[in-house]
Amino acid sequence: MREGRRACRDKVARMTRDDIFEVLKANMYKVVEGSRDVPISETASMKDYGADSLEMVEVVSRSMKQLKIKVQRTELSTAKNLKQLLDLFEKAAATPPPAK
Amino acid sequence: MRERVVVTGLGVLSGLGEDAASFWDGLVAGRSAIGRWKSKDPRLECRVGGDLSDFSLEGHLERVGGRYPARLVAASKKLLRATPLAGRMTAVTALQAWVDAGLTEGGIDPERWGHVCAGHNLNTPYLVENARTFVEEPEFIEPLFGMMVLDTDVVTVTAELLGLKGPSLLIGGACASGNLAAINALDQIRAGRIDGAVVTGAPIPMEDVALQGWVMIDAITYRSFNDEPARASRPFDLRREGFVPSEAAAAVVLESLSSARRRGATVLAELLGGAAASDANRLTKPHLEGQTRAMRAALRDAQVDPERIDYVNAHATSTPLGDAIEVAAIKETLGARARVIPVNATKSMTGHPLTSAGVVELVATVLQMRHGVVHPTINLDEPDPALDLDFVPRRAREAKIGCALSNSFGFGGINSCVVLGTAP
Repeated sequence: MREGRRACRDKVARMTRDDIFEVLKANMYKVVEGSRDVPISETASMKDYGADSLEMVEVVSRSMKQLKIKVQRTELSTAKNLKQLLDLFEKAAATPPPAK
Repeated sequence: MRERVVVTGLGVLSGLGEDAASFWDGLVAGRSAIGRWKSKDPRLECRVGGDLSDFSLEGHLERVGGRYPARLVAASKKLLRATPLAGRMTAVTALQAWVDAGLTEGGIDPERWGHVCAGHNLNTPYLVENARTFVEEPEFIEPLFGMMVLDTDVVTVTAELLGLKGPSLLIGGACASGNLAAINALDQIRAGRIDGAVVTGAPIPMEDVALQGWVMIDAITYRSFNDEPARASRPFDLRREGFVPSEAAAAVVLESLSSARRRGATVLAELLGGAAASDANRLTKPHLEGQTRAMRAALRDAQVDPERIDYVNAHATSTPLGDAIEVAAIKETLGARARVIPVNATKSMTGHPLTSAGVVELVATVLQMRHGVVHPTINLDEPDPALDLDFVPRRAREAKIGCALSNSFGFGGINSCVVLGTAP
């Protein structure tokens, strides 16, 4: 089971920044009403698209689960826009999983 | 003079139907809502129940959403998208009752309307599922678990959907919860604290551990009917062997008669009174004295003599002792009247929806009063000779009901009863 998860994460680690952004955008479309109707820019924050604090938690958590990456909540709170969030996700996706 | 309280809207989700009309069709036809569990642990000895675990809001809206205002359809999609089963089902029945009562037109003061929700332990499968995730990956539990695991989330999501700004609260009393919620709303309206309330019966979504626990205390069916689910719930029958757990939700709109008249609402029935009584005993065993005391207190509260009762919706869960004690309590309370009126068991068809049972049966009782028909008690194949009331075996029949009594009794000796009358 652990081997399977690691293989899956290795696959995720090969994802490009664009792939990660697509996952994030897909969750925004599901959770944040109206976000599908406007172009989503890396320089904007989810708040700019009308997301409230719980919707932001939902988009971030669902995206991390799908990408099989983990970023500490304290780190996540430093991201002020989607670009900084993507930076954190990209870094986590490139980091090998800790040995169990 | 105290406010009179009336019923002006109904909603229900059960294996028998997903609105009051289809539910009624199922009741009159004597259909069973019981089947095999869809996705429970194969080691469970109880294999049957009323399984709505795959209830989908999208599917419901596709089938019947046209009757809801577009604004409320959009709001329900947004609010209920990630809401666990109990909250979704409860909100949908509340929406049905709200529309049925004509409340989408406005004309009320939302601060004088509340939500009284019957239920507890409403998100156990969601809790268990997330606990399993936590063991493997704590970071990947559901994002809004911290809010949605609370029973009160079931109350507040409906309050937000309907814009109810009066008191919103949860009433817990095991299988008596539904009646207790109706009584709470009755008291609030009589006292003039509110003009009206949506009273909901929230379902307890079934999960493996609870079912195993009920098998271990011999409360539910698991021996004889795993291959014949539709025959498992058989109140008053010799082969009854335990209740049949079932997922169902229901809602009624209760309001003061003056509010209903002011709005020009159609009054479906009057809630004449209700009462609760405790056995002061934590065990599951029912007690004749406590049940009788609850029924008598409800009749006193309603100012109705036993001779005026035309029909009893029995709690009748299909347990050997429970059905027998209730029959004795009905006889004790109503005397000779008990022998000449219909006494039926909605649970013979719905199974036992636990915390929502009282509200489901309130809906069933109002429908029977409105239609002038009593639904059958199904599966009465070998009537228990010791239980000798008119249980309306097998077939529905016409009956004029002026006053009705509906019982709900819970584990731990929580007894409750409500009395309904025709629309004034």
